[in-house]
Amino acid sequence: MAMLSFEKKYRVRGGTLVGGDMFDFWVGPFYVGFFGVTTIFFSVVGTLLIVWGAALGPTWNLWQISIAPPDLKYGLAMAPLAEGGLWQLITICAIGAFVSWALREVEICRKLGIGYHVPVAFGFAIFAYVTLVVIRPVLLGAWGHGFPYGIWSHLDWVSNVGYQYLHFHYNPAHMLAVTFFFTTCLALALHASLVLSATNPGGGQTVKTPEHENTFFRDTIGYSIGTLGVHRLGLLLALNAVFWSAVCIVISGPFWTRGWPEWWNWWLDLPFWR
Amino acid sequence: MKIDLRLPILLGVLAVLTGLIALTFEKPFVTMSQWGYRGTGMAVVYNNKAIKASEVANLVPAAQDKVDKSGKKAREVYQNVQVLGDLDENEFNRLMAAITEWVSPEQGCAYCHGEDGNFAHDKMYQKVVARSMLKMTQDINANWTSHVKATGVTCYTCHRGNNVPANIWFNNEPGGSMAGVIPPKAIGQNTPVKSVAYSSLPYDYGTSFLENDAQIRVNSETALPGGNQTSLMRTEHTYGLMMHMSSSLGVNCTYCHNTRNISQRENNPPQWANAWHGIRMVRTMNTGYLNPLKPVYPATRLGALGDAPKLNCATCHNGAYKPLNGKSMIPDYPELAPATATKVSYVPLKTN
Amino acid sequence: MAYQNIFTRVQVHGGPDLGMPQKPAFTVLGQRGTQTFDWHILGRFGDAQVGPFYLGWTGALSLILGIFAINIMGMNMLAQVNYDPVQFIRQLFWLSLDPPRPEYGLSFPPLNDGGWYMIAGFCLTASILLFWLRMYRRAIALGMGTHIAWAFAAAIWLYLVLGFFRPLAMGSWSEAVPFGIFPHLDWTTAFSLRYGNLFYNPFHALSIVFLYGSALLFAMHAGTILAVSRYGGEREIEQITDRGTASERAALFWRWTMGFNGTMESVHRWAWWFAVLCPITGGIGILLTGTVVDNWYLWAVKHGVAAQYPLVFPPVADPALAPGR
Repeated sequence: MAMLSFEKKYRVRGGTLVGGDMFDFWVGPFYVGFFGVTTIFFSVVGTLLIVWGAALGPTWNLWQISIAPPDLKYGLAMAPLAEGGLWQLITICAIGAFVSWALREVEICRKLGIGYHVPVAFGFAIFAYVTLVVIRPVLLGAWGHGFPYGIWSHLDWVSNVGYQYLHFHYNPAHMLAVTFFFTTCLALALHASLVLSATNPGGGQTVKTPEHENTFFRDTIGYSIGTLGVHRLGLLLALNAVFWSAVCIVISGPFWTRGWPEWWNWWLDLPFWR
Repeated sequence: MKIDLRLPILLGVLAVLTGLIALTFEKPFVTMSQWGYRGTGMAVVYNNKAIKASEVANLVPAAQDKVDKSGKKAREVYQNVQVLGDLDENEFNRLMAAITEWVSPEQGCAYCHGEDGNFAHDKMYQKVVARSMLKMTQDINANWTSHVKATGVTCYTCHRGNNVPANIWFNNEPGGSMAGVIPPKAIGQNTPVKSVAYSSLPYDYGTSFLENDAQIRVNSETALPGGNQTSLMRTEHTYGLMMHMSSSLGVNCTYCHNTRNISQRENNPPQWANAWHGIRMVRTMNTGYLNPLKPVYPATRLGALGDAPKLNCATCHNGAYKPLNGKSMIPDYPELAPATATKVSYVPLKTN
Repeated sequence: MAYQNIFTRVQVHGGPDLGMPQKPAFTVLGQRGTQTFDWHILGRFGDAQVGPFYLGWTGALSLILGIFAINIMGMNMLAQVNYDPVQFIRQLFWLSLDPPRPEYGLSFPPLNDGGWYMIAGFCLTASILLFWLRMYRRAIALGMGTHIAWAFAAAIWLYLVLGFFRPLAMGSWSEAVPFGIFPHLDWTTAFSLRYGNLFYNPFHALSIVFLYGSALLFAMHAGTILAVSRYGGEREIEQITDRGTASERAALFWRWTMGFNGTMESVHRWAWWFAVLCPITGGIGILLTGTVVDNWYLWAVKHGVAAQYPLVFPPVADPALAPGR
């Protein structure tokens, strides 16, 4: 039945947001729920549209398949299917699938009696995606500003949009986001290492305690954030990375059109030092 | 009753900070033009206010009134007319009036000809320079259609009513307020100046690329190493030049390039090849006309290293994708674009 | 709204925690300090106690060399603005201590032409390696595994590739990264420009996968722990050795969501590998660039992964190849 040894007692009824008992069941290890059904619907339709888009293209090579958004000339209207309309429909399916997934997670949280931190965190990632394919294109007046759906082709979009601002690394929100990403990676490495080093001391030693964890970091860097604090910190760092990424792209174009190095002139031209 | 003010104060401070930061950005709305295939992200971006400002900044002055020919050539009427001697006398005077408006509207004719009423002498350095500039203008319009096409240039294209064009450059000069702060054995980078769009890239790309003919291309033609020794520092030099070109034209890298493969040639926008010719034109003008004028200038007109003022992309373009937004002044002054003119060829400087 | 356990509402301040006992030390360096202080605002988010600090000989040496390196960088930057402190602050982000120019190859250049960079780089590297040793020895001293040291080694691998191994392989110290905020970003872009778009470097792509994956994993793991913190989920060691309802609910959340789950211990192994593989694959990608592959876009075309776009512009002949000019 694909259930873990302790799982049965947790499989209770209830916690749903929509639909009551109708979809309140599991398929194998997966919880379904109303939003499980909508997830499947959007994912399947979206994937089939991607396959259709690939069929219209020059290749079935997985690396080269690319579904491009419409030309800018279509503005915010619906474009012909083969001229970017498919991209638009796929985007709608993607947002539908992501939001459904998040709401399904909420139902699972309610059923298990745990906090909503995970779906809220996922909401930040959905927000970043929606910023890229909805918010920024709307501010710029055309759906064509979204990124193409292709493994390598979406990177061509990233490269060119970056160079639209001559030197994207100077974008202050991008600098923040990158810093948060690298710090998240660092913090994850430290946290994971610390827990593993306490529980796997090696050489036949006994498992250590949280007091050992604290002592290690107080010894080496003078401060230990603690077992609860490290998870608050990790969540804070990861969500900030995603948030500032969304900010850095939405300001590029709608709120800044020149090269990003030039933005720093407000600092250089402060009156007391020229 | 004691109210806890900490949260309101924190929110207030955050609101003020957000407001101040918001002031550093531009207000919508913007116009974006697609450049390449859809979804590649190649586009030019303009803030709508900037478009309006550009239209105002690039207005062309009204042409001088047309004149009837007098039937006599300028060299028959005036002395020491070396370049425009074949022009009709009235057309010659009309052009002189236009040049005065374009280059010295405040000082008038005296700027080049002096105060003593003898217009033929060459005592003023400005007249010697102007003669060279006339040859340069005709050379550009006749022999560099690869870049200027039929639009061509006139004195106004660079001078815009100023004695000295707003955008010129000197060797190794960071420009503006930074000049002289950095020790003479300059590293040539790491300071925010306009010529590199305020990045910390090398700012003296001009000497290498717009005066000398150092290699601009840095990429390899093959996937695997094949002898290309170009260093990262050299790449930053090219990048500095590209920042200059972008900001001089008010465009971005994707105007000429698809950066997925920045060194590609096929499937590039036509502006890329046009720019190639532009660089060669700038080199030729700097070495063929402007540098040779060095002995003519007074010291106040020379750079910190004693070199003559030189031109770059910004000198003509002044922030517009085409100078004067593409408006041609040649129809009103065809004498500046003769069918043939002496062509100066580029001679590489001795490397030192 | 219910309490979400993001900020601590009630702080308990007992006496300072002076750490697990350690072997007696012979020198002052080898003794743990006894100074601590409680910072209340810190306690709203994490632990309030700061300190005590352990110096040790590796720590002391690392600190000295590190401060020396930073001072060299700072003094060189100051010299670039003619020792004007106002301009130093104003232009700080643009200033840098640059590597030697290509003409010096692998030889030691004059001090004011790259020599200071070499000295600063050497001191910084020594400082970092000594700090690594510190992390390793402290773990052993406390009877813990050395996982932190090995994770740190992955980061040091990337650092050494960028500043030492690759310049060595390329035969030129000039390839190393400048010490400066914006200048090191210029280096990054120049690197991608020179080598045909680093996005097409498969190890660069893998490194980004692991970087974004680390952010994803930390958000997932941290969110999960906070969600089950009402059941003591943050007490991870106890949950590992004696599974409680926190771990059970956490595992089931993910099992029901995505069909599989980890355990309280295994999630930290997923996390460790994702975080550590980011600099490892990144370092490999950098090391291969310029040495084994000279143009990553062309490499991608060669291996059939570059997407094709329809031609939009009329064909352009390379003017550099045209006869005459």
